[in-house]
Amino acid sequence: MSRQFDRRAFLRRGAAGAAALAVGPGLLAACSTDEPRSDRKAGAGASARSGGTLRAAFVGGGASESLDFFNGPSALDLVRARAWHGTLGNLDPSGADGVRYGVLKGIDISDDLSTYTLHVRPGVRFTDGSELTSDDILHSLSALAAKSTLPVYRLAAANFDLARAKADGDLKVVLPTVRPIADGRMILCQGNFLVVKNGTKVFRKGMPSCGPFRLTEFTAGQGSAFERYDDHYGHVPHLDGLELRSIADSTARAGALTSGETDFAHDLSPVTARTLDDNGKVELVPTSSPYLVGLSFQMNMSAKPFDDPRVREAFKLAVDRQAMVKTVFYGNAQVGNDLPAIGFPDYAEGLPQRAHDPERARALLKEAGADGMKVTLTTGPETPGMVEMATLFVEDLKKVGVRASVRELPAGQLYADFPAYAALPLAGSYQMPIPALSTYQMSTAGGSPSAFGWKESATDALVAKARAESDSREAKRLGTQAQRTRWEDGNQVLPVFKPNLNAQAKGVTGIRDDLFEQFPGFSQASLA
Amino acid sequence: MTTVLTPPGGRVRTDRPGAPRRRRPPLITGAATLLVLLFALLGPLVAPHSPTAQLAAPFQQPDGHFLLGTDVLGRDVASRVLAGGRTIVLTALAGTAAAGAVGTAAGVLAALASRRLGDLLLRCVDALAVLPGLLVVLVLAAGFPGSHAALVAAVALATAPFSTRVLRAAADTVLGSGYVEAALARGDGRWAVLRHDVLPNIAGPALMDTALRLVASLHLTATAGFLGLGPGGAAPDWGRMVSENVPGATLAAAPFLAPALLLVLLSVCVGLLAGRLADWAGRGAA
Amino acid sequence: MNLAAFVGRRLVGAAVLLVLLSAVIFAATAVLPGDAVSTVAGVDASKAQRADVRAALGLDRPTAERYADWLAGAVQGDLGRGFVGDRPVTEVLSTRLPNSLLLAGLTLAVTAPLATLLGLWTGLRGGAADRFVSTAAQTLAAVPEFVVAALLVAVLAVWLEILPRVSVIPLGGTPLDVPHALILPVLTLSAVGLAVATRLLRVSVADVVASPYCEAARLNGVRGVRLAVRHILPNAAAPAVQALTLTTGALVGSAVVVENVFDYPGIGRELQLAVAARDIPMVQGIATALAGVMLMVLLAGDICARLLGAREGHGR
Repeated sequence: MSRQFDRRAFLRRGAAGAAALAVGPGLLAACSTDEPRSDRKAGAGASARSGGTLRAAFVGGGASESLDFFNGPSALDLVRARAWHGTLGNLDPSGADGVRYGVLKGIDISDDLSTYTLHVRPGVRFTDGSELTSDDILHSLSALAAKSTLPVYRLAAANFDLARAKADGDLKVVLPTVRPIADGRMILCQGNFLVVKNGTKVFRKGMPSCGPFRLTEFTAGQGSAFERYDDHYGHVPHLDGLELRSIADSTARAGALTSGETDFAHDLSPVTARTLDDNGKVELVPTSSPYLVGLSFQMNMSAKPFDDPRVREAFKLAVDRQAMVKTVFYGNAQVGNDLPAIGFPDYAEGLPQRAHDPERARALLKEAGADGMKVTLTTGPETPGMVEMATLFVEDLKKVGVRASVRELPAGQLYADFPAYAALPLAGSYQMPIPALSTYQMSTAGGSPSAFGWKESATDALVAKARAESDSREAKRLGTQAQRTRWEDGNQVLPVFKPNLNAQAKGVTGIRDDLFEQFPGFSQASLA
Repeated sequence: MTTVLTPPGGRVRTDRPGAPRRRRPPLITGAATLLVLLFALLGPLVAPHSPTAQLAAPFQQPDGHFLLGTDVLGRDVASRVLAGGRTIVLTALAGTAAAGAVGTAAGVLAALASRRLGDLLLRCVDALAVLPGLLVVLVLAAGFPGSHAALVAAVALATAPFSTRVLRAAADTVLGSGYVEAALARGDGRWAVLRHDVLPNIAGPALMDTALRLVASLHLTATAGFLGLGPGGAAPDWGRMVSENVPGATLAAAPFLAPALLLVLLSVCVGLLAGRLADWAGRGAA
Repeated sequence: MNLAAFVGRRLVGAAVLLVLLSAVIFAATAVLPGDAVSTVAGVDASKAQRADVRAALGLDRPTAERYADWLAGAVQGDLGRGFVGDRPVTEVLSTRLPNSLLLAGLTLAVTAPLATLLGLWTGLRGGAADRFVSTAAQTLAAVPEFVVAALLVAVLAVWLEILPRVSVIPLGGTPLDVPHALILPVLTLSAVGLAVATRLLRVSVADVVASPYCEAARLNGVRGVRLAVRHILPNAAAPAVQALTLTTGALVGSAVVVENVFDYPGIGRELQLAVAARDIPMVQGIATALAGVMLMVLLAGDICARLLGAREGHGR
């Protein structure tokens, strides 16, 4: 295939010589196989196939959908915001810093890893004609993101001292860290830090924005419509317009796709995706690493017998990971190694893959005096495949002599009573793609309720040290060491990483080029 | 399914058009219903495979080993179908029994009490009836997920108001017939009158009403399963099996059709039986 | 007979009942285990963050006090804002309730005339036709809605591909803009509704047919369509109308299944989502509104029945 020399390839070349902070060699190797598949001419100024309105269907959140993406809980709220607002940057393994900047030119880190300087990209214009300055970024970060209760935004507050952030002239924002970290770029440029104009309090149609599209219509729980923003920084989208629809049911989303009512369907259930296999009009486009969701089971170490490491290991050995990938996801998933964040630079890919060993599991349980133990696994349909996985896990457990059963809560209820959830002996869970060490600090360190009784200050310290290490090899070594402890002793069984099973009409291209695949962007997409 | 809850004008209407009709009890319908009920209740005992174990690839076509093929997770559909009726039937029966008991008690009480008090009681019951049945199930089942008791209570709560109305009317008829007054005049105690004169005479309508409510209860229970509100997890349940396997209907029809048809068969049989019973009893009373 | 006084009295009664029901609903939301804090604060929230969110949502105040506040607002038309997404409850109601009412209305429009015809025919004729239609109606009424919906989808949308699988309603439009998308939901609801309504009407008609009044008309030589339309229908209509109104009221709140299957933007699913998220203002607002709709429909039914009853009185 004679591929155009596009921007991605160029950036990848640049990355080869750069000291990519915290970007592991494994990731670079893994991602170099991820060739851009489109033969379209990408990039600014290129006359790509343009025009048309792309219609995409998402799960949505009913009436609770909100234009205020700092408080809108559903995935669609963020997808909508990504189309509408400029971003600080996205994770891009091929980028020089492991990221691709948006409204920023770059991020400098002080030698002591305690201050980050954000350089604003000059010439970015809002739809009202004004130019984007450091004040806008500061407002978005320290006034809006800092007050958000959404987990994605708490990541910033957990790492940066947002209250002490300052603008330095029009084009510089100085951001002190809470404690020294080397991987702050990956935190800030994860795709979810979007920029609105300074002083924005209310989010509504017509407010100034600097994303690839401008919002023309919004009905919560139903959908939103956009038109191209011709003054978008970098490159102008090929599409004339964009429509994002809420269709809650997976089969219904697929139905809308196959009947031509939409061009893209987000996050289908594995079965639905399978039924599209033979459909000549559509194609499956699962998200690729690291945009994979980890499906896991948490064992509560404050409850017997999970305080015994042998029982925990037995549970990890009992699970038949391959069978889950094959049966639940029809092969459309990756086997997990009981650690979250596969595909991220700081993921410990060097650890051996845990085997499926029911014999050993049975022996360990006997040793611990827990053979014939009774346990209930509580889960809910929070993301496709979760309940099915739990069902298979329980059958695996029965095979090693555990009297296990599943308790399934209705959709949306698993986390509804969180203190009750955190007290469960064995609970289903899922991990969104966030770098490994940040995940650990967010939800496992310091006896957080979602750690299910894991309290290891030594590991906490090790992770903090790894993140504060500017030598990337040493950082990797420390990080791997911390994750090994979790792998050996931890209370998480993580058998499968599943992609978001998206599907699109044949001929649609460029969605993946917008990175941050779990919340697809359409700035580079075009229709057939 | 809530439409079935609608009381026929708030009264038991057992009259039928003028044409003469058989007098014999509905034996055939009764036998068919019994068969389906037995299938649902005893099915779990004869399931050839484990209804929860993953045995093969998902959505396999039927063959000698798996008579109805495999479902979305590669479990044996035949075994799941056999095992999946019991919960629904038992939950619906329990809910109906509870509703019947509550309805009868409230209905009789309303009839026995003074006019004013009875009307007040009925007003309260009517107020409950204003809440759509599925709404009650939704809130209770969602609020206490996975709980059989909550589902039974929800089904009872959703159907009891109608029973109360019907039974109050029935009790009123008995009370107005004169011989209760005669018994009271004779010096019999209120409880004795209730036990010997009122209850036996409303037993017929009460049973019939309960049969009608059973259809509604079956609907509610199955729908709760379909919406993922029932006791979920791996446990087979016809309503749930429909929702599990509908997405793969184009890959294999049996996993979704079998439980759907059984549900239909069960509620149709019970519904027809209730209707026939009502006709028959109406005839007998006339 | 004074209709205005009757309506006035019933309106006051309905209002009192609505307040009582809203209290019952509030109590129910208060005893639900769990709260919206987890949904709002996120899974990884610390104890302090959870406490902050709880205070911000006002969940730390006593139930009675919260209810009094809500009631005071509700009387002025302010139903509060949802915990999740912070949208005004009235806004959600105003966008979703009309859709549900439309669906229920259309179903009624399909069901009522058909049920009247079938009910009259079977009620008058009796015999084999009656038995056949009655049995068919009983059978149909016994099929759960979700089975009807699944079968209709399988045949009409997936196999024959003549109707859309989902109700994708144009942005800013109403379901009426895509009439073909309404067919499957209405068909599903009608299938069951028709069966029930036919049965009820048949009973009413049979009642009237057996009455001395009808006997007299027959003896006077009134037969066939004339008998049916002039004499039986008006007298059978009163109880039937009441039954139909009840059916309609229930449709508004309970189309959850249909809304789920066809992705129809009705109010039932919003309620389901709100219950799952423990979004108390939303649950409270939607449930109370549904109860209100139900009471209004009942009232309308009573008024119809009264008007028809008056006519019946003259007829006799």
